[in-house]
Amino acid sequence: MKTGPALEVKNLSIKFGDFTAVDDVSFSVARGEIFGFLGANGAGKTTAIRTLCGLLVPSSGSALVGGLDFSDGGKGIKKIVGYMSQKFTLYNDLTVGENLDFAAGLRKMEPRYAAERRRELFELIGFDRPLSTMVASLPGGVKQELALASAILHDPEVVFLDEPTSGVAPASRARFWNLIRKLTEMGKTVIVTTHYMDEAEQCGRIALMSAGRLIALGSPEELKRGAFPGPMAELDFKGTEDVEFIRSLEKAPGLLELFPHGMRWHAAFRDQAALSAALTGLPPSVSSRPVEPSLEDVFIRIIEGAER
Amino acid sequence: MNGFDLNRAYSVARKEVMHILRDPFTLVLALGLPVMLVTFFGYAIDFEVRDIKLAVSDLDQGPAARRLKEIFTSSGYFIPVEAGSGTVGMLDSGKADAALFIEPGFSRTVMGGGPVTAQFIMDGSDNSKAAAVSGYLAGIQRSAAFKLGGAATPEGLAVETRFLYNAELNSQWFTIPGLAAIIIGLLAILLTALTVAREWENGSMELLLSTPVRPIEIIAGKLAPYALLVLGGVFFVYLSSRFVFGVPFAGSRPLFLAFCLLYVVSALSQGLFISVATRQQQVAMQFAMIIGLLPSLLLSGFIFPVESMPPFFNYFTMILPPRWFMEAVRGIFLKGAGLRELALPFLALLALSAALLALALKKFKTDMEP
Repeated sequence: MKTGPALEVKNLSIKFGDFTAVDDVSFSVARGEIFGFLGANGAGKTTAIRTLCGLLVPSSGSALVGGLDFSDGGKGIKKIVGYMSQKFTLYNDLTVGENLDFAAGLRKMEPRYAAERRRELFELIGFDRPLSTMVASLPGGVKQELALASAILHDPEVVFLDEPTSGVAPASRARFWNLIRKLTEMGKTVIVTTHYMDEAEQCGRIALMSAGRLIALGSPEELKRGAFPGPMAELDFKGTEDVEFIRSLEKAPGLLELFPHGMRWHAAFRDQAALSAALTGLPPSVSSRPVEPSLEDVFIRIIEGAER
Repeated sequence: MNGFDLNRAYSVARKEVMHILRDPFTLVLALGLPVMLVTFFGYAIDFEVRDIKLAVSDLDQGPAARRLKEIFTSSGYFIPVEAGSGTVGMLDSGKADAALFIEPGFSRTVMGGGPVTAQFIMDGSDNSKAAAVSGYLAGIQRSAAFKLGGAATPEGLAVETRFLYNAELNSQWFTIPGLAAIIIGLLAILLTALTVAREWENGSMELLLSTPVRPIEIIAGKLAPYALLVLGGVFFVYLSSRFVFGVPFAGSRPLFLAFCLLYVVSALSQGLFISVATRQQQVAMQFAMIIGLLPSLLLSGFIFPVESMPPFFNYFTMILPPRWFMEAVRGIFLKGAGLRELALPFLALLALSAALLALALKKFKTDMEP
């Protein structure tokens, strides 16, 4: 077992001509961690991941993946990482066995070792169909699990998953995240991007990206506490929004943020005393209950703060 | 570490073969196109002009005039049609392609040993037909002068033309071997463009590149099966040339193969370049059809001789691989030309293939960022 962080990124920038896709990003990921990249489309997540897979060479700054750098153009890194891209999973016109044989061939795996790994991974993902099954005939969730098996057939140290569950049914998403956790239990480091907040909650730490910059980094708990140090209340106007009341609440001392949340409103305060002061004497049409801030709330606040 | 890993390239090739086997379009195209082209050009399209409808206006009605008509019809190129009144009108209406006017007193003058003239009028709206017929006329004139004038024709003046390499001017001998150029040009460019564009389009190219496989191994592995497929098409053309159309093969088979390989490389490179530049199967297909078909069909000398093109196009064809390949194929098949005679086409094709391959690889390597 190697020591040292799985990823060590310092002042990494990636430019395409005049466009800076990743802008001076630094972070480090420990072995066995589930590290999530979040951000809007075009925020630089995929570019960052592609670089750390050895597909792109940094324009400036440095990145160590499993202790390896880019001095060989990313060749060494490619050997110890597994990558599952958001666009492509497996060749639909090939069978399951042919797809995995191809993955093994590209990695120059011994046929016997490849077969052994295949059996292990089939057991891990619970795949029990024949190898001659055409990939096209498999349901989306199973395909995604097989794509993961194909990406980690060569037993990589670091696994990069770029939106692995997009377009997959919720039950299958949950199954897939179970697999991710199992991988980290086996000592793998998993770097994952996602648009789903419930998936982000399952990451050990989250890096939030916006316009190529890393604007927040921490565990879901840390990010929540950082963005909303005090308590939060959810206000329910039962369908009829009291504009007057919302205006007055906006001026309440100790209010950090007031924003709509679906049909309801969330109000975050500096501390419990400010909350109590603001929410005493609520009109009868408004009910209030304490809530935990969701990651979505956190991201909205952080991104708005970063843009301000 | 640096270099080419045969095992990885083989893995890519094996996968490609499985794609081909499961894709009816590729298979039908690769197997059907050579058969279709050979059938078309071997049977349906005949560049020889025969059965020209000849209207005769015989105002002489003498024995020499009858002899002259016989000479025309026995040549095999002309069939007489009934000439009513208004022979020229028959040309206008398309009832005749050519007309022969024999003046009164024709026979008498011939008997008297004097110089005679008969007028021949040809519908010139189809210029390729007219050109062919004017060639036939020279022979007919000679034959007529000899047969009508008899011994009076001085032997020394008889002109004899012999066509070398293709004595019968059999147009199939000329076209069928040339189909190799069309088949390689179209199939190799089209199939390559499609298969590489498909990897870009469905995002799998990125996945391939995230493994230790080198770009050159991807290219070699993906293109090798198509090179074989295309060479299979050429082999079919060779077999049908030799055994169906009886085209002689006077030259060296290894040299023919060497030319085929060079030309295949140039075509695969063009296909690769198109696919990297377009990245979409639809667009790649349109480009490939144009780049694959037009130069090899129109600017290679396959149908229209390069020598008779305007100077600009004559020079322009020099940067087109099909022109050189066509020259080599015909030279090897019909003339038995060797490397010495074909040094220029060989070097030109070598240089063009190397340049196209280098260009495609460079574009592929620098363009990996989607």
